[in-house]
Amino acid sequence: MEPSSSLPTDQTTPRRKILAVLGAVGIGAIISLTPLLAGLSFFLDPLLRRRAGFKGGDAEGFLAVTQLSDLPDDGTPLRFVLRANKIDAWNEFKDQSIGTVYLRKMPGNQVIAFNDTCPHLGCKVDYQEASRTFLCPCHASAFQLDGEPMNKIPPRKLDTLESKTDPDGKVWVKYQDFQCGVEKKGAVG
Amino acid sequence: MRCGEEGSGRMNGMLNWLDDRTGYKNLVHETLNEPIPGGAKWKYVWGSTLSFVFMVQVITGFFLWGAYSPSTLTAWESVYYIQNVMSYGWLVRGIHHFAAQAMMILLGLHFMQVIIAGAYKAPREVNFWLGLVLMQIVLGLSLTGYLLPWDQKGYYATKVATNIVGVTPMIGPQLQQLAQGGTSYGHHTLTRFFALHAGILPALMVGFLALHIYVFRRHGITVSKSDQAKPAGTFWPDQVLMDAVACLGVLATILFFTVWKGAELTGPADASEAYSAARPEWYFLFLFRFLKFEEVDKLGLVFGALYVPGAIMGVIALMPFIGKWKLGHGFNVAFTFALLAGATFLTAIALKEDGADKNYQAAVKAAEFEGHRAAELAKEFGIPPTGALSLLKEDPRIQGPKLFARHCSSCHRHNGHNGLEQIVMKEIEENGQKIQVEEPATAADLGEFGSRAWITSLLTNYSQTFAPLKNAGENGEKFLTGEMAEWVKDNSPTLLQPENADSLKGLVEFLAAQGGRRELQPFDPALIAAGREIFKGGKLAQGTLTSNCSDCHAMKPVDGTESLGDGAGPGYPTLTGYAGKQWLQDFVKNPAHESFYGVERNLMPPFEAKLSQKELTLLIDWMIGDYFRSNHVEAGGERKE
Repeated sequence: MEPSSSLPTDQTTPRRKILAVLGAVGIGAIISLTPLLAGLSFFLDPLLRRRAGFKGGDAEGFLAVTQLSDLPDDGTPLRFVLRANKIDAWNEFKDQSIGTVYLRKMPGNQVIAFNDTCPHLGCKVDYQEASRTFLCPCHASAFQLDGEPMNKIPPRKLDTLESKTDPDGKVWVKYQDFQCGVEKKGAVG
Repeated sequence: MRCGEEGSGRMNGMLNWLDDRTGYKNLVHETLNEPIPGGAKWKYVWGSTLSFVFMVQVITGFFLWGAYSPSTLTAWESVYYIQNVMSYGWLVRGIHHFAAQAMMILLGLHFMQVIIAGAYKAPREVNFWLGLVLMQIVLGLSLTGYLLPWDQKGYYATKVATNIVGVTPMIGPQLQQLAQGGTSYGHHTLTRFFALHAGILPALMVGFLALHIYVFRRHGITVSKSDQAKPAGTFWPDQVLMDAVACLGVLATILFFTVWKGAELTGPADASEAYSAARPEWYFLFLFRFLKFEEVDKLGLVFGALYVPGAIMGVIALMPFIGKWKLGHGFNVAFTFALLAGATFLTAIALKEDGADKNYQAAVKAAEFEGHRAAELAKEFGIPPTGALSLLKEDPRIQGPKLFARHCSSCHRHNGHNGLEQIVMKEIEENGQKIQVEEPATAADLGEFGSRAWITSLLTNYSQTFAPLKNAGENGEKFLTGEMAEWVKDNSPTLLQPENADSLKGLVEFLAAQGGRRELQPFDPALIAAGREIFKGGKLAQGTLTSNCSDCHAMKPVDGTESLGDGAGPGYPTLTGYAGKQWLQDFVKNPAHESFYGVERNLMPPFEAKLSQKELTLLIDWMIGDYFRSNHVEAGGERKE
């Protein structure tokens, strides 16, 4: 090569090369991150968006369950199925079971409503007539009638749900699911 | 500083450890420092942009996979959910949708660059063929991807493709059934297309792309004679920078279309509904138009759809050999440009014809509207387990116009069209040539039927309201010269006097209120009361009517006030509940009933046996505007108030 043409090249090459490297890396990062970040944001949808699990009930989200008079006076818990329109992503299924609860009638016509999901790891607890306790079939969590744990297995007491009784004697429950396995009762979603 | 030195020393140690065991440094070195004789060039970017877009498709495709559900009851539904509900779903799907189209364009550019540069010639024949295989895979990916949303557009376009497969000699029907997963489209068509689209074809693509790049690196870039004299460059960083800039341009274009247009989703696929806007995606439009030529059609579908494209692909595959002849390269370049020109020409004809075809435009608009409507209904009511299609099947806004077009539009019009915004045409022979002309209506335009405007027009301009009846022969003439026509002729000057403006308004309000239509509410009670008096007594602010409405028409007001009369019998339509849901249903079932036109005067066929109760309800609910409306303006925008 002739010195006259190689001389200026030698001087400009390093700076040109650095610019080219920076440009290639920078633009390369932009073009590969754009689809990746768009995809990741989309993937994070469950965390970015609040979704109702069901549709129905009154203005405050309470669902009608039963008549107060149908509950035993001695406080024995009875299990009820809550029905509403279940929402699963794009589908809405009419009149489905969206959860089950135990109701107890207390003195003074007060009602206690338990979500029958075990706060340990989410199996359904069963009321045991003989011992008058709630027992979880999965890991033997046991609860008293008032929901207090009877052993160290569950991290907290049975989860109570808001309930109300209207003038016609109908019992309404606001159904919610709670995070399992932690000490603090916190609604899911 | 010590920390830094120590850190970089440890880093180098680790990299050396890795290199000893993998030899990656050599690979990186070879990849990046590949010499480019004559230096980096913009014209070398096309292959890289194709690889980039493929990478974009893999990334966005995997994320879409995580939300897509391939079955006939969930495909459209999950895509609707991705597009309209999930966060950033429109963005990911938009990128995937437009990147697929970008890939077709880049494929064409890459191919042309290869042909013009002579990069298909020895010793690069094998890599050229590998490229052709990749081309088929990309075509396969776009074809299979087009069906997955299971919307009307993709469904009918893909049906054409599988039917073409079906005419393959010897094994056509078997091939078609294998592709469809059965004798017709269904769940297994989607599961199979999805397996091809997201599994088999991408895997083949990765394999062949790796081979393609490997062989390409073996022979290096094909450098033109004039460039060979210039100083050599290396792949890194000069060519990489150019490639990256080109990819950025491609990505910007894709994002521009994603934001500006968005990936479309027409109504859910419906095998029972003819789709007159069926067209393949724009890059296959030339083939579609080619098959439409009468001469091509005469030679059979196998010829046009298989032999001709097969022969063209055959010539392309033989290009490395053709190129060896003296004029071979010139032929190859000319052949490529001829193909491009031909495809462009055919695409242009197809677009021009469709652009001039009003009914095609209306069908496209209707398909888009069905997509919007289905999404709107899904958002409001949720999608039942029977799928989004059932939402449309139960929707008066969608079914009403179709029923009107099928059953009513041979005589009536709806704001000048057939309900579906298509002009009703008929074929006539003129000077021995068959031409299409607009068919004149023979009965009233029902676009405004029952509204205040309709009633006002009927009371003051009867001959105009029922003008089309003059095309209905002798009986139509009778209608236009009958008692009601005479009454309007006698009374309209009085009714139209400025002093009687409120009286007319009252009479109109009273009549409009009888149907109790939701879309006409609220009604003015004071006007209704005034109107009732006029209906019964005929007394206007200025003057009186020549005869009272109640002299001829039976009327039990909707508000439960006393009956205003029993009417004059058959031929004098009962106005109790006029133009409301029940009145219209009864009327359409049997217009010759004695409470309507009566056997003697009636011209309209009864629909009691032609329409099921469900169809009748859908039709009438549409006519009276009784259907779900979202708050924003309708996309179809066909109702004028």
